[in-house]
Amino acid sequence: MKADTAPAIPAGPFAIPTDMPTLNRPMNLGQSIDDNTSRLDGIAKITGAARYSSDMILPNSLYARFVRCPFGAANLESFDDTEALKVDGVIEIDIQPKECQYDGQPVGHVAATSPMAVDRAMRALNLKWKKLPVKTQITDTVKQEVPQGEVSGADVTFAAVYSTPVQTHSSLETHGGVVDHRGDKATVYASTQGTSSVRDGFGDALGLKQSDFEVVCEYVGGGFGSKLGGPGKELMLAAKLSQKFKRPAYVMCNRWEEHLDTGNRPSSMTSVKLGLKKDGSVVGGEIRTWGGTGVGRGGGGVAIPSGRYDFQGVDKKHNDVSFNGGGPRPFRAPGHPQAVFAEELMLDEAAALIGMDPLTIRRKLLKDDVYREMMEMGARLIGWNERKPTGSQKTAMRIGYGIGTGGWGSASPGGSAEVVIHQDGSVESRTGTQDIGTGQRTSMGICTASAIGIPLSLVTVQIGRSTLPPGPGSGGSVTSPTTAPTMMAAAEAAKKKLLEHVARQANEKAEDLSVKDGQVLRRGEKFLSWKDACSKLTAEGVTGSASTGEGGRGASQGVQFMKVVVDCETGIVHPRHVIAIQSCGRVICRKTAESQIIGGVIQGISYGMFENKILDRNTGAMVNPNLEWYKVLGPNDMPHIEPVLWWHGQTGVKALGEPPNIPTAGALACAVYNAVGSPVRHLPLTPDKVLAALEGAAS
Amino acid sequence: MNNFAIARPDSYEAASAMTRDRTYKLAVLKAGGVDLLDHLKGGLIDPDVLIDVRRVREAGAKDPVGISGGVIRVEAGATLAEIARSDELLRAAPVLGQAAGDAASPQVRNAATVAGNLLQRPRCWYYRNAQFPCLKKGGSTCFAVEGENRYHAIFGPGPCHIVHPSNMAPALLVGDAVVHLTGSGRKELPLSELYHMPDKGVMSENNLEAGEVVTHITCRPMPNSAFYAIKEKQSFDWPVAAAAVAVELNGATITSARVVAAAVAPVPWWLPNVEAALKGVDVANDEALRKACAIAAEGAKPMTDNGYKVKMLPVAVRRAVLRSAGRPTEVES
Ligand SMILES: Cc1cc2nc3c(=O)[nH]c(=O)nc-3n(C[C@H](O)[C@H](O)[C@H](O)COP(=O)(O)OP(=O)(O)OC[C@H]3O[C@@H](n4cnc5c(N)ncnc54)[C@H](O)[C@@H]3O)c2cc1C
Repeated sequence: MKADTAPAIPAGPFAIPTDMPTLNRPMNLGQSIDDNTSRLDGIAKITGAARYSSDMILPNSLYARFVRCPFGAANLESFDDTEALKVDGVIEIDIQPKECQYDGQPVGHVAATSPMAVDRAMRALNLKWKKLPVKTQITDTVKQEVPQGEVSGADVTFAAVYSTPVQTHSSLETHGGVVDHRGDKATVYASTQGTSSVRDGFGDALGLKQSDFEVVCEYVGGGFGSKLGGPGKELMLAAKLSQKFKRPAYVMCNRWEEHLDTGNRPSSMTSVKLGLKKDGSVVGGEIRTWGGTGVGRGGGGVAIPSGRYDFQGVDKKHNDVSFNGGGPRPFRAPGHPQAVFAEELMLDEAAALIGMDPLTIRRKLLKDDVYREMMEMGARLIGWNERKPTGSQKTAMRIGYGIGTGGWGSASPGGSAEVVIHQDGSVESRTGTQDIGTGQRTSMGICTASAIGIPLSLVTVQIGRSTLPPGPGSGGSVTSPTTAPTMMAAAEAAKKKLLEHVARQANEKAEDLSVKDGQVLRRGEKFLSWKDACSKLTAEGVTGSASTGEGGRGASQGVQFMKVVVDCETGIVHPRHVIAIQSCGRVICRKTAESQIIGGVIQGISYGMFENKILDRNTGAMVNPNLEWYKVLGPNDMPHIEPVLWWHGQTGVKALGEPPNIPTAGALACAVYNAVGSPVRHLPLTPDKVLAALEGAAS
Repeated sequence: MNNFAIARPDSYEAASAMTRDRTYKLAVLKAGGVDLLDHLKGGLIDPDVLIDVRRVREAGAKDPVGISGGVIRVEAGATLAEIARSDELLRAAPVLGQAAGDAASPQVRNAATVAGNLLQRPRCWYYRNAQFPCLKKGGSTCFAVEGENRYHAIFGPGPCHIVHPSNMAPALLVGDAVVHLTGSGRKELPLSELYHMPDKGVMSENNLEAGEVVTHITCRPMPNSAFYAIKEKQSFDWPVAAAAVAVELNGATITSARVVAAAVAPVPWWLPNVEAALKGVDVANDEALRKACAIAAEGAKPMTDNGYKVKMLPVAVRRAVLRSAGRPTEVES
């Protein structure tokens, strides 16, 4: 199934109109501040005109990379940098031998005048590693055991163990950046989710006052949580080198390093015992979870039970488990996708035990009506009534349907914004957030234009600089919920100042003036054009500012329905159709909102089907630190994804960043179970496991 | 990687001569450079000159692919994209276009040449990681045996357990392809003699001699032929099991069959037992066809994590047979 009416793409890359409509989801129309605007920076991005931090190749730069442990556990016994120091262009080699605990752990760095020279010096280092025994997964420490015994008072007891692998963020733009230290001033080009936090995180590392350096992050090639929290070791190294050698220092991870040492979604193992009554109610049980956090401390939590279902008397215990792997970092709804995978599949399996439909047991156990309403809609849109009972199909190609749910809550950290109206009628909106791919630049522009009442074409958006009014970090899905009301308030304030100014000059009352469609109105009647009104300003124009403090916790909900076809001879899963219903409150820009949901689903399917950081069981080295064997969903694996913007009865701008990634892998696993007749309890859903499940179903 | 020179000879003979030029420590031929560049970046080889044969054509060769006098001829420098989009080939030997079109991604196919495809090195993740001194790099261990071997071979005695990566090799083999050479005495080599098993030399996969350059490849037309690859990902991925098949039919009955499997052994893997079993099978008879193909993985010795390939191989073979006879597989129907 494909989008029914795709608009024709006009010839030539620069001819793409910025208001190109997408016509395939009419149900989403008419509820957003802006329905048709495409990303303001979309063309810059697809033509390469957008300059990312990794594109900042400054004259006279030096380049550095970390020297890293190549094994899961090893002792650097000796090295000899004589030859490496002779490599043309090498500037500095600094190595501190130590015992390492994961593949990719830095022990020092090499700096040189070109990336090639770094590479050559690296190879000439003559490092002597002594390998040590490794643990590479949770089950090296904790036995995988299905809980025994019956739950008292239950008609049936269901027990099983689920697990999920380590997922790396795999941002297309890797971690790091460039520091250009010029003695008394510095510019930092960071690839970050928190421009302000990078500035704050440097502390004394640059030897400069905060007013003497600027952090710049115009574009970010993905982060998904891994680029939160300060400069990171890459920029810290760049800062040190740039300061010391008085030239720009470029430190960006290569793909290999990116997989090893920039965080991940930790692996998980969940064992469940669930006691049910025949009517589907849960009367007790236990859930134990383990998070595979590698060498990291904390961060392995698994958000099961999610709280969305009524699990009476179910106990929960969690432990993090260490092994020889890089530590976790926040990853698009930390703890959630792995939990939903286990929770939704467990529900389907338990429902099957008592002969109940997955939709029926969910309707029964859900605590919040909004999920029930979303499920009614999703079931209708996916064609749930076509679903065949689990295990009833005997053909080679079997169709399966599954449901996943997701909930999210986060508190806005607050932030500030500024809107300047210039004498020539142009408008600048300024806030120090960054666009990690969500369309932040576009939504800030729309907020400004709509709050003032002028066309978007008059607005220029400035983001991604630490010298702008500080904005929130892009984490916890708080960016839009925080910056949209702030930017609107700043725009309102600027408009108010403009109208007061115009009123004074024209001897009118400011209350009588308003702006609509680029016209200044007096008591609702056309009074001045926007340009004429602005021309009355002084050269500085007028500036409106707004700050919001910490906000309360906002909640959002989502339900996804997945239809798959499973090739039961090869075990290959083909996702075909996804209905992704996501609460969104007040939508600023329909297209970027839809795109956010589609992106969440894509990443969720990729997690469910392919992604897997594989550590060699003997040496602890990652065997697939590339995008060839660390497999990520490609175009031919993409189902038809229909995002549904759910605003019923909701106000305010809601989180859309992480939530749509939560339900997907769960829905996928349920759909595969429905088709195959036997569950695959361990992600990713690769064909070897599907074939094994089929054998289980047959026996 | 180190600095290197690029040489642009205008003939294969000149290219061959350059490989013998003693002023260089290591001279290697570069066609599309897809596999070569991976080797350079991975620090696996360190040539000081690349001899670029990408645009070399043999005297008289006009098109990248052509048929004349009942012989299919594919120039060494024909790209996978050119092979995949040739209408002429699609009729005369569909297996070639399918094998080419199924490989990698459009970008790779635009650069990758058929000679480079036949001579590319294995993708084994231990071989490709310079940190692992595996057998192929002169070491003493195959790390896959006790390690991560889900994508490794199910056939062969070892000691190295790579799978041969080429799609084009099995596809050309079912057409009894001949590799045409220059640079040594020999002018040609049957494709079936191009590769050797690891126990006959683990540092290389092919039997070319130093200085030998592939000029073109010929094979017979095989209008009833097909390639079927099972891939985890449907975009930009390698097969985990695949089969190339060419059949001759009398009505719906197979009178002879050529079957070569890919991604299951260190070399393209002939399945003579399946070929024999297919003789006389009516392709419309599902049960008979399944029975003949079921033996495809006979003799396989799976490793710890790749037993699934044993189940997949008969499926790939059966679907390739169906496709070669112009019948839909489960996926299409
Ligand atoms: C992610 C990815 C996925 C892929 N998937 C597939 C797949 O599914 N199936 C598949 O078959 N392939 C696949 N490929 C491999 C790709 O098809 C090969 O790398 C490519 O065909 C190599 O051709 P080339 O012209 O670039 O060779 P080069 O890299 O230029 O050369 C490869 C080797 O051949 C030698 N050589 C080249 N030309 C000649 C000649 N005329 N005479 C003698 N020696 C020569 C070179 O010296 C070198 O040793 C994939 C590659 C990638 C990166």
